[in-house]
Amino acid sequence: MRVLSRAELGAWLDALAVEKALLAPTEVESVVLYRPVQSSAEIAPLQGNASRPVLSIKEAFFPPTERLLLIGKTTGPGNGTGGQFRLRETLPEGEQIVFGVRPCDARGMRALDALFLHTQPADPYYARRRENTTLIGLACAEMGPSCFCKSVGGGPDDPADVDLMLTETDKGYVVQTVTEKGRTLLAGLELREIEGEMPRSALNEPVPIPDMLAWPPHFQDAFWEQSSERCLSCRICAYVCPTCRCFAVRDEALPSSQGEECYERIRCWDSCAGDAYRRIAGGHNPRPEKGQRLRNRYFCKFYYYPQQYGPVACTGCGRCIEACPVNIDITEILAHLVTG
Amino acid sequence: MPVQSGGERYEPRILGFLCTWCSYTGADLAGIARLKYPSNMRAVRVPCSGRVAPELVMRAFDQGADGVLVLGCHIGECHYDNGNHRAAKRMPTLRALIEFAGLEPERLRLDWVSASEGERFARIVQEFTETVRLLGPCAWRSRAAAIPGVGLETTQAGRSMSEAGGRP
Amino acid sequence: MTHAAAIRGKARELLQTGQVECVLGYETGSRGRVRPAFIYRPEEVERLVWNQACTHNLTTYLPAKLRPTKPGQTPRHVAVVVKACDSRAINVLLAENQFTRDQVHVIGVVCDGIVEGAGFERIPESGAAPPPALQRRCQRCDDRVPLVYDTRIGEPPAEHPLAENLPGDAELDRLEAMTPAERAGFWLAQFDRCLRCYACRQACPMCNCPTCLYERDDSLWVGMGIGSSEKRTFHLGRAYHLAGRCIGCDECERVCPMNIPISLLNRKLAKEIELAFGYRAGLAPVPGPLVTVLESGEVKP
Repeated sequence: MRVLSRAELGAWLDALAVEKALLAPTEVESVVLYRPVQSSAEIAPLQGNASRPVLSIKEAFFPPTERLLLIGKTTGPGNGTGGQFRLRETLPEGEQIVFGVRPCDARGMRALDALFLHTQPADPYYARRRENTTLIGLACAEMGPSCFCKSVGGGPDDPADVDLMLTETDKGYVVQTVTEKGRTLLAGLELREIEGEMPRSALNEPVPIPDMLAWPPHFQDAFWEQSSERCLSCRICAYVCPTCRCFAVRDEALPSSQGEECYERIRCWDSCAGDAYRRIAGGHNPRPEKGQRLRNRYFCKFYYYPQQYGPVACTGCGRCIEACPVNIDITEILAHLVTG
Repeated sequence: MPVQSGGERYEPRILGFLCTWCSYTGADLAGIARLKYPSNMRAVRVPCSGRVAPELVMRAFDQGADGVLVLGCHIGECHYDNGNHRAAKRMPTLRALIEFAGLEPERLRLDWVSASEGERFARIVQEFTETVRLLGPCAWRSRAAAIPGVGLETTQAGRSMSEAGGRP
Repeated sequence: MTHAAAIRGKARELLQTGQVECVLGYETGSRGRVRPAFIYRPEEVERLVWNQACTHNLTTYLPAKLRPTKPGQTPRHVAVVVKACDSRAINVLLAENQFTRDQVHVIGVVCDGIVEGAGFERIPESGAAPPPALQRRCQRCDDRVPLVYDTRIGEPPAEHPLAENLPGDAELDRLEAMTPAERAGFWLAQFDRCLRCYACRQACPMCNCPTCLYERDDSLWVGMGIGSSEKRTFHLGRAYHLAGRCIGCDECERVCPMNIPISLLNRKLAKEIELAFGYRAGLAPVPGPLVTVLESGEVKP
């Protein structure tokens, strides 16, 4: 196994932070989030799951708010005819490295890639960021109390979706090169060879996951209405989720310069939990009841999305369980589908 | 006038909400009487000072106002009987809130000007403009004003993961 | 009889006699966490619990539950379990005609305070040592007896805690002592991690506008983006809209996934309203000072 000591890791990250944007788990007023850091000293302590950020790495590829276009409108002479529009695409620039990526977050990229990259036309904003980002993974020594990554095909030490995977041992961090991009990032770094077994992470009790086709027969269950009564229709579950990806687009005004009105087209995170989400022009809303929206959320993750795009839209990270203020628990929902 | 870096003097941008029946008429009178007062204030005529919702004031500060002046009828003289009562309670509450949020409360002023008080109007505007001038530009302005003619070229593209937003 | 048993007994009676169609209370959910419960049948009342993790303000569900969905519909009746703070929300909602008094059977519980971590962590074992800390709002609370109730569970304490013996609002004092620039910096740092998830708004009983001003499709008052100035506008605007209406349950702060001390804004305005108008929200079902005319003799500014 090839290892890096903690000090060597720190020095390497410091060097990386100079060349590119380094995003790592860091404490922001009592909450751990992935944020740009200037040095490894700013990174939150890495033991256990204490430092898993509240939000996933989705932010690095699909930010909460993103400018898509700048639009300039010049008014023509006379009665508003002859005006011109200038459009400027605002693609993201710069390379970034995300350090401390948990396997569940990395696996979430599969769901996002299925939509943003592999469905035509590919999303150029997401694609640009995906291309310019290297993921340095960090295995979890043990699964957290709400974690069930293993039950949905992932695992706390699964290196499948990162470029490099680090696993902490008492002899240092074991480094696994997973992709060419990872190999490139390691270039010039000296790793020590040591003897030993790759540690495996401690697992939780598995959570039974219903088969995709088990969902449609339960569409009319009273269970959805009952479970949703306490739902506040906030957006926490969608926003903390590594795979939720719905967004709204709007054109908004910017301060204008002489003779030219400026606008920006932005997109930002949205969630199907809100009453207004599915309301369409004319006022009709196919999902006015909370039960319908709750049902939609879980059907989307485990039935609609895999059917249309392939991956299941859940990585078992358990963030929704931890964050929901009224204890709507995805494992309870899944249990209902399994037991019928 | 946009605030520009490098040398230009800061001129406070003031948004004034003037009620139709009293203070706007008072402002008219100041004009007729050729009274001199600073031209920094842009007037917005509203039916009543009670119409001035906190959202309007907040949006004004967000969109580049350095000061917001709300002028209504004297208490007891409101055309709608008690519309100005609402303003009388709202504005001090709003001032306390913006002060708590770190904005100088002196940037928001509520006062009463009747239709015949042209001089009072001019004096209040003069005073308020000077107050806001001394306070400097409002820190809440949400984006730097575009530089004339080159706004589109120089406005930056979105960045990744900074302050939970993808754009400057 | 324990409080829980008393609540179950009352719930059973109300459901059996058909006085209410639903009882809003608390139950133990998954992972030992307390959560809101909606009980429709007498056989189900065994689900109801009462303990120091019953943090949720259940009155937030009342406007939607009691609003007629079709014109001419028979008004619905529900029962709701409330603590003293929650009961103040009922007064505000009544003053605003969200429902009529006869639509709600209020089961008011004399509360011993709610613990930190309620709703998110396993309910602490009774007699656990050291005893878990109470939420800060409970430490500041000066009256744990519900103001509005049809059934009261528990006896009022022999003495009310004296105001001088209660801890003040240290957080608020700290903010007020800062310079304006420091405060501006404080709020900028807090709002930075806000995601506009709207959990604070959704948890609040008084935030019940059909379409929130700050969520309009035409971005009239605030842009859609999750940026600094938008978030500031939303939070300050929401705090203003709650001035004279917020009853200080602090659920907004509990539900925030980013630990933003959001109720500081509400507590500041509650203090201002009390200073300026001598009014505290929720003590009676009357409208607050910001929607009424000046009292005789009051002249502002």
